[in-house]
Amino acid sequence: MRGEGAARVIPLVAAGAAAAAGVVILAVAADAPSRARERATRAEARAAASLYELPGVAEADVLSLLDGRARIVAPEAGGSGPGAHAYRAGALEPAAWIAVEPRDEGGRWPWAASVLALFGALCMAAWAAGRRRSPPPPRFPAAPAFLCAATFALVAVAAQQWAHGELGAMSSSRLAGALRAAEAAGAAGADFETAARAAGLPWASSAALGEPDRIWTMPREVGEAIAADPRLRSAARYTVAAGGATYHGGAVALRRGPGARAETPDDTLHLVFLGYEETASPTVALTAAALGSALVVSLVLFLLPLAARPRALSGTLAAWGFLTPAAALLLLFTFGPLLFSLWISLHDWRLVDPAHPFAGLANYRALLSDGAWWSAVRNTGVFTLHVPLAMAVALSLALLTRESRRAVRWARLALFLPSITSVVAIAVVWKWLLNDGYGLANRALGAIGLGPVAWLSSPDAALVSLMVIGVWMVVGYQMVVFQAGLAAIPRVWYDAARVDGAGPWQRFRHITLPGLRHTLFFVLVTSVIGSFQVFGLVYVMTEGGPLGATDVAVYHIYREAWEFLRFGNAAAMSWILFGVVFAATWLHFRLLERRGAHA
Amino acid sequence: MTREPRAVALKGVRKRFGDVTAVADVDLEIRPGELMVLVGPSGCGKSTLLRLIAGLEERDAGEVWIGDRCVDEVAPGGRDVAMVFQSYALYPHMTVAENLGFGLRVRGAGTAATEARVSEVAGVLGLRGLLSRRPGQLSGGQQQRVALGRAMVRDPGVFLFDEPLSNLDAALRLQTRDEIAALHRRLGTTMIFVTHDQVEALSLGQRVAVMDRGRVQQVGTPHEVYRRPANLFVAGFVGSPPMNRLPLVRDREERLAGGPFVFPGPFPHREATLGVRPEDLALAVVAPPGPDPNPEFTATALRVESLGSEQRVHLDGPGEAAWVARAPSALYVTAGDRVSVSVAWERTHLFGADGGRIGAAPRPVRGSRP
Repeated sequence: MRGEGAARVIPLVAAGAAAAAGVVILAVAADAPSRARERATRAEARAAASLYELPGVAEADVLSLLDGRARIVAPEAGGSGPGAHAYRAGALEPAAWIAVEPRDEGGRWPWAASVLALFGALCMAAWAAGRRRSPPPPRFPAAPAFLCAATFALVAVAAQQWAHGELGAMSSSRLAGALRAAEAAGAAGADFETAARAAGLPWASSAALGEPDRIWTMPREVGEAIAADPRLRSAARYTVAAGGATYHGGAVALRRGPGARAETPDDTLHLVFLGYEETASPTVALTAAALGSALVVSLVLFLLPLAARPRALSGTLAAWGFLTPAAALLLLFTFGPLLFSLWISLHDWRLVDPAHPFAGLANYRALLSDGAWWSAVRNTGVFTLHVPLAMAVALSLALLTRESRRAVRWARLALFLPSITSVVAIAVVWKWLLNDGYGLANRALGAIGLGPVAWLSSPDAALVSLMVIGVWMVVGYQMVVFQAGLAAIPRVWYDAARVDGAGPWQRFRHITLPGLRHTLFFVLVTSVIGSFQVFGLVYVMTEGGPLGATDVAVYHIYREAWEFLRFGNAAAMSWILFGVVFAATWLHFRLLERRGAHA
Repeated sequence: MTREPRAVALKGVRKRFGDVTAVADVDLEIRPGELMVLVGPSGCGKSTLLRLIAGLEERDAGEVWIGDRCVDEVAPGGRDVAMVFQSYALYPHMTVAENLGFGLRVRGAGTAATEARVSEVAGVLGLRGLLSRRPGQLSGGQQQRVALGRAMVRDPGVFLFDEPLSNLDAALRLQTRDEIAALHRRLGTTMIFVTHDQVEALSLGQRVAVMDRGRVQQVGTPHEVYRRPANLFVAGFVGSPPMNRLPLVRDREERLAGGPFVFPGPFPHREATLGVRPEDLALAVVAPPGPDPNPEFTATALRVESLGSEQRVHLDGPGEAAWVARAPSALYVTAGDRVSVSVAWERTHLFGADGGRIGAAPRPVRGSRP
């Protein structure tokens, strides 16, 4: 009975939770425009008040500038008049307040996002109602949670689009108001600086734009961008993308005194305004709201059916209690940094520059044409060719030591040592062995009359030398894995094959290789992944040289980050490497699963 | 297509694993076309013997002859034998068809010939529908057939079976046993079959070789082995429940005595063992007042197992020994009853001190109540 009651409640709660989540997202989205509107209104009130300071500006002019949304409020009202925002106007005697009501425009409700949210809520309710008859599954509802997250992500995208449009519209109306204020000030005979103060925006004169040294009050990049583009200079209103942000700009030709028109470029005042849509972008908040609400909805759906069964509920809560510390560590120290590096890779992030402007996929795009990076990728690929070689050697050793236990033990001991030794220690010793002048290798060659080889100092030989060392390092580990794999092949298969008349090669070809295929595959994939990530050997032995011949991907990333301090680029490279390794691993698991099903 | 069946001869074959002698100087002759069963407890060397014939083990001494040639230096593939293993040893990564044809393929047979032969054998064994499956997708019985088919495909002179039925359940084991017997009748090939199950051995073999501790204890037809066991080991190993025993000692008058029995001498042995099969004892429930007409001895029934068609009655005698008798299910006997027991003396066995069979025991001069 209680179960049925809970089952009836689930769709309602699901729909409620989903709707609440949608409202949260829309509220987050709507918050940015409303705050921007508030700031715009304040700025208009400030501009109107400063216009009063100018002689020759009539009260009616000021009020008409604000489209009748402004009123003079008596001094005793103290700025708490009917308008939402008021500014003290010092020029009025006795000091009065200008109260300004917010503009109406920019008040449209985000209908598309609302419809999506409603749709999501209905879907959740339908899903919850649909599983009323079957007992709730004990697992976390992964598929609904994913659907839920996807729906809310869509809602968030729609709300974001809406907010972006609203903020853009508000930015341009803010600029329009500022331009009119500047025009009014100019009409009253004010100079550039005074007019710009009345507008409340950064500014520069036409003459100053062409000379970067003279741009003081406007962001220099913006000024240069306007100066560089004659079409912008002749337009009354424009938007400028500079420094990773969108600026709204406009030009006002100031009249010097009644009847005087501006004749020279010097007489044009350029105002710019950093668009609200860039400064108040709610992307992060919306994403967090979408993910958080999806989590809340699925948690509710998960826990609600359990509430009807208290023992199951307490068991589940206890299990999650035990999981929480490990999960928190994982989130904090594994997924957190991972996501942070993704974040960095989407920004122009340099250690020396405190500003980290959003760059989108620019870092990734730049990598496509980065020759040094591709050279590092190619070197990594070539280095990885040591893996099949090492596997062939390791398999031969494993087969050779197969029959004798004593040989197995000694071979293991000798060949496994490199696998448990510090890479740095190995690299240092090898560097010494392969030294051009005093290295043992060259001395041994000299003893039999062969000339010295530039093992590590020649671009042709260095990578090959590293590959040989790579083989030496992994052969022991691979051999032990192969020995285990060989031991797992039942002897009776060999007996059957011998009775069937198969010779040694046929037994190797038809029994050993197929019997080892899982092992071979495992060793191949893990070794290739390990090879993609080679770093210590290169760092200690060659530092990527000579002439970049041994510059491998991870070392390249390291240098990009810690020598050139270009974190954004380095993060993008890391993610490309991550993608490759991830794809290899995924393939590995997929194939293992498929083969496991057959075995 | 079936070839002339081959004879197999083992001449003084010996095999040691470290300090353990697995096969000790075995001489054994298997006639052409014969189905010979090697039977014995685990560790008796029967599987090792089979692997020596197949060439999977190197002999330490002796000779193995298959047909008219000594195959000691011939690799397993060249010995004209095929083997069915206990675990079937099917190649898991090959389909049934590939498993069946493997022996032909590695010998360089053409694809068409291989396919034809595989299809023929698959038809005989009812495997046609399974040819594209892998061993992991087959039931135990089907795997067993594939293993059998893999041996048949090459049409060998000798079939070797290494406990091929022990991984099957009871019903399937009986069925497969009959099928192997039928196969033998049809092919007429020499077959050597290793098992630890004496019932399987007796029911399947034309002749049975009973092995223990690396030696062949007796070779004979199932009837001979059961009815005239060569020694105490064979007597104990073959038959279920095992043969009843009673130790006998020679007394001053050169007679053998033990329990209630005294056998007239003279006997050359100081000690002997009397062996009586459970079915050679006849029971009658002692009626309290009257004496039994011909009682050999009387005993108390300790436990009665009913098997449906018969009963097994555990007795507390004669003497120290506890014997088991098979009684018809019509006999009404319960635990605690006194029963009189008569013995079919002409079917009893006397074993000497070395365990060897001397002959049937004579009728005792007296049987006294214990």
